[in-house]
Amino acid sequence: MTSDSHADGGAHSSTGLSNNKLGMWLFLGSECLLFGGLISTYMLYRGRVGAGPRPSQVFDIPFTSVSSFVLLMSSLTMVLAVSAAHKGDDRNTYLWITVTALLGATFVGGQVYEFTAFYNEGMGFTTSLFSSSFFVLTGFHGVHVTVGIIMLMSIVGIMKRSKVPGSKAETVEMIGLYWHFVDIIWIIIFTLIYLIPA
Amino acid sequence: MANIERPASTNEVATVATPSSSLGALKRPVATTGWKSWLFTVDHKKLGIMYSATALFFFIVGGLEAVLIRLQLAAPNGKVLNADLYNQMFTMHATTMVFLFVMPMAAGLANYFIPLQIGARDVAFPRINAFSFWALLFGGIFLNMSWFLGGAADGGWFMYAPNSGPIFSPSHGIDFWILGLQLTGIASLAGAVNLITTVLNMRAPGMKLMRMPIFTWMQLVVQFLLLFAVPVITVALFLLSFQRNFGATFFDVSAGADPLLWQHLFWIFGHPEVYILILPSFGIISEVLPVFSRKPLFGYPFVVFSGAAIGFVGWGVWAHHMFASGLGPVSVAVFSISTMAIAVPTGVKIVNWTMTIWGGKLQFTAAMKFAVGLIVLFTIGGLSGVTHSVAPSDTQQTDTYYVVAHFHYVLFGGAVFGLFSGFYYWWPKVFGKLLNEKLGTWNFWMMVIGMNMTFGPMHILGLQGQPRRMYQWTEARAGEGFFNLGFWNTFASVGSLVLSTGILLFLINVVITTRSGKVAPLDPWDARSLEWMTSNPPKEHNFDSIPTVSHLDEFFHRKYQEDASGQMVKVKTAEQVMQELEDNADAHIHMPSPSYWPIVLAAGLPVIAFGVIYSIPIAIFGGVIVLFGAYGWAIEPSTAPDDDFDPPATTKDVVHVG
Amino acid sequence: MRRRVVGAVTGIATTMFLAGCATNAPQDTWKPKGPNAKIIDDLQKPVFAVAGIIGVIVTAAVITAVIKFRDKGQPIPHQSHGNPALEITLTIIPALILTVVGVFTFRTVFDLAKTSDTEMIINVTGQQWWWEYDYPVQNEFGITQPIISSGQLVIPAGTKVLLRETSRDVIHSYWIPALNGKRDAVPGRVHLNRIEADKPGIYAGQCTEFCGLSHANMRMEAVALSKADFAKWVANQLKPYTSPAENTLAKEGEAVFMNQCTRCHQVNGMKRADGTPVIAAPDENLVSGAAPNLSHLMSRNTFAGATFDLLNTTCRKDVWGADSESFGAKYLSGVSEDCLNQTDLRGWLRNAPAMKPMYANPALLASTGGKYRGMPNLGLTESDIEKLVAYLLTLK
Repeated sequence: MTSDSHADGGAHSSTGLSNNKLGMWLFLGSECLLFGGLISTYMLYRGRVGAGPRPSQVFDIPFTSVSSFVLLMSSLTMVLAVSAAHKGDDRNTYLWITVTALLGATFVGGQVYEFTAFYNEGMGFTTSLFSSSFFVLTGFHGVHVTVGIIMLMSIVGIMKRSKVPGSKAETVEMIGLYWHFVDIIWIIIFTLIYLIPA
Repeated sequence: MANIERPASTNEVATVATPSSSLGALKRPVATTGWKSWLFTVDHKKLGIMYSATALFFFIVGGLEAVLIRLQLAAPNGKVLNADLYNQMFTMHATTMVFLFVMPMAAGLANYFIPLQIGARDVAFPRINAFSFWALLFGGIFLNMSWFLGGAADGGWFMYAPNSGPIFSPSHGIDFWILGLQLTGIASLAGAVNLITTVLNMRAPGMKLMRMPIFTWMQLVVQFLLLFAVPVITVALFLLSFQRNFGATFFDVSAGADPLLWQHLFWIFGHPEVYILILPSFGIISEVLPVFSRKPLFGYPFVVFSGAAIGFVGWGVWAHHMFASGLGPVSVAVFSISTMAIAVPTGVKIVNWTMTIWGGKLQFTAAMKFAVGLIVLFTIGGLSGVTHSVAPSDTQQTDTYYVVAHFHYVLFGGAVFGLFSGFYYWWPKVFGKLLNEKLGTWNFWMMVIGMNMTFGPMHILGLQGQPRRMYQWTEARAGEGFFNLGFWNTFASVGSLVLSTGILLFLINVVITTRSGKVAPLDPWDARSLEWMTSNPPKEHNFDSIPTVSHLDEFFHRKYQEDASGQMVKVKTAEQVMQELEDNADAHIHMPSPSYWPIVLAAGLPVIAFGVIYSIPIAIFGGVIVLFGAYGWAIEPSTAPDDDFDPPATTKDVVHVG
Repeated sequence: MRRRVVGAVTGIATTMFLAGCATNAPQDTWKPKGPNAKIIDDLQKPVFAVAGIIGVIVTAAVITAVIKFRDKGQPIPHQSHGNPALEITLTIIPALILTVVGVFTFRTVFDLAKTSDTEMIINVTGQQWWWEYDYPVQNEFGITQPIISSGQLVIPAGTKVLLRETSRDVIHSYWIPALNGKRDAVPGRVHLNRIEADKPGIYAGQCTEFCGLSHANMRMEAVALSKADFAKWVANQLKPYTSPAENTLAKEGEAVFMNQCTRCHQVNGMKRADGTPVIAAPDENLVSGAAPNLSHLMSRNTFAGATFDLLNTTCRKDVWGADSESFGAKYLSGVSEDCLNQTDLRGWLRNAPAMKPMYANPALLASTGGKYRGMPNLGLTESDIEKLVAYLLTLK
């Protein structure tokens, strides 16, 4: 959602950040509170397994570690994409954005596989408070990643037809900000859910 | 209207070219008049008017709900509303007033006036602005459809679990409430991102933060509060809707849930929310009082910092809504202290406003009356709030009419009076006409008398033991004596009718003014801030040339200078100041173009909401609309490029911007 | 003109405020009748006074300014931007006042939370829309077996009673204003609240956390009796069940009761003809899982969540208005046939949901899995009602 409105009197902004970037930072600030609420709920309910399986019974830490690594790598490729965009290197921009999206899709695919396995092991959405909070937290995160993937693929498609309004580099940078944020949230979630024992 | 081609001379009206096509398939909307120009507008002024009109409509809806409540409680064993309807009525009255009246009204005034006050031509993200409005409108309509689809929500506006869960509230009313508020929450969040970016990035040259008009400052704090508070209630609403619609057990005690989770999430939102409700009105009267006292706001930096302090400390007091909830003495004591702490920056403002009018040259226009009324009425409400902060005392007061009295004094005597002050103050700028002052006086006094008649006795009712949310009272339990609880209930109900008449007078004033009101001069109040340095109403691009700001109260300083003996003398009229701007008019002004996508995207949201309640395929269809809208939006430039337009055929000095 | 209007309004407001209170409002929060309520009152009255004074000062300042500085044609005033010294002073003064209030508040919060000197414990359970009391065994008070009752919380006067509150369904709140502030009764949690009455008497209260349809009809009373009278009350509650004499209307009523009421309502000690004890199963029939235990019903004088009186108007005035010396004896005499509020009791038996809104509507049973919420309309005949009333009167 680029705003190339010259109604702002040009690129002179008092903060030094463009409107788009500032807007994205503010949005990410609000997202901190969203995930904060979901994480708090999870931390409250993590031990309430009822009749369902306990985390230690269903979690496959090695598997999730690998998919976390994949997501982390996607942040690296995102950095490369932004760097290429700044240099005006269209081909590499598209390349790295696509790789980022693919890595993100791999992560989401891993989650789908993981959740299906949990379901088959008796841990569904409504099984227990632990399972509900787990799925809501990781599910919201997964939706955020998916939205990011859609944005990435869309921007490649739109940029290839030279129809993206505004500065390409800035758009890629904004999506990059979002992508890194989603990755950082995952690091927090992974640590709290998987690594710290209940 | 996309490009405003400015002819070299200022005598000619800028002509507008008609777009031929855009992206082959979808033409950009082009109407400049008529209903289409409103439907697809991204102009912050039009949006501000629409926000405010919507809010006013819901004010009337909420007011009718309140009158029905008071009619039910006018006599013992009332028969106007049965218990079920009554519970729906007070739930919807509160929800409507908070989310569909005060918040959108403040958003409307913010939308209209923040760009003008900071010397900008629009907000940072005009299409997001439009989207916010439509999301709010559709959310409000969606919320109220529950009345016709099985009954409105009936769990109280605070919707405590487990009562709000599926077992104890099986009808769809609460689902409509949840989803309606998610929609309006999206609107608020988008608006917050928009307005913060606007204020931080788009101020006129020379307008440092400490030279910003105080209304903009208070709204900036409000937007930060919204930015961080709305996600918290979003989480709460999601959890409740997952329980109600998908079988999760977040608030189901038999599954091991903690019912206090809802309360904490709700009030972590809910307390900043009340500052969201009051700070805009604080900002309004901080503008109005100086103008009609003919002197600056007393202690502007203190007012700014106390507003920011309230915004900050307001995050640390939420559990004062939970003093009786079983938190334990340590939490109770801590929150009690923090609640007392927040009274201090609030009290500072009362000092500042009183000292602003002290020593002034007071002109009691209707706007000024409402502003002065706020000072007194809000003080009363604030002091009863301080009595609440004493937690042991609060365990006697909470859930009684004493609390109802408290928040109606701060919300009605505070927020609403501030908004009315803003109406009378800014009406001539927005509509070019002055609201009738005589009717305004009657409006004011009826509202003051009606408000005190309605909510004053509630202090007594509460302290003498009448709880809230009771659909009826009985003579047997009303105590003895002429002035027993029954008397005051009836008295309050009569007061509500007086209050309604006062509001009606305002509406009559609006109608009369629209039909035949006095045309307003450019600067009817000899005002101080930049929004008055425009035409009546402002041109689409607001300022012919963006002013350079060198003072707080910049407009005032352009009109007045201090002479040798220290007296303020008028050196320029408003018209002369305006002429200066026009003489230096910018040659080329790009304005953001109207767009279909905001309303399209917003329209998908209630469809999703319907689907969640009734049938998932409908939700998916709504999701498709949202995706379609998002895609169209993303590939559309905010200002239509010039090759989208045929060059205008008429004016001679048009410069083609390439 | 303006001065007169302002003066008139102020005058009216003051008169209203000074004159305008009910006498003997049953739930008055400014008339403490027990030490906990008194602690709160001692803290809050000075705070109200200070708040009132500040309110008067601010109002007076504003009214003075409004009158003194109105536009009389004076020149544009000196454009003062503020006076930091004044601001800081007027910030510090309220801060100091609030600090003092804060210190006292802090102390009071912990004073009220003290439970180490508890003398008696009663478990209080809220559910839509009535209160249940369970007295655990406490031999020092003669409670040798658990007592279950509802509506009227009977306690010995001058005794530090600790209520352990919870709920069976949604959040309720237990509030007897004359004796203490309120405390929420939350399902899944136990909250503590202290109740102590100085003298014998009856103290009205109400549920004060919105709990659904009949929240307004969820009431209770605390009944304080002298220690001797309390012992008598306990002894009466522990008296074994006596079936009515054969061939009386009451005996027929007992049969109707067993047929119609024991699905949900328990009367301790009741036995069928074959000698098996009658055990109510409200958990199978009610959403909240419980209905009031009706043992010794006529030893209380309100019913249906204390919404209705068992006593008719005359007797009620007599009992409720008694002074603390004579109250105990009057309360202990219970509800006799002469004193029974026939209208309300019969109305309740005839069609309970019509008298107190509850989702006892069969049409909505699908959403509750077939369970009632509250007492349904049983469709009893007038003759059944006649018998039932006669029977209930024997539950002394």
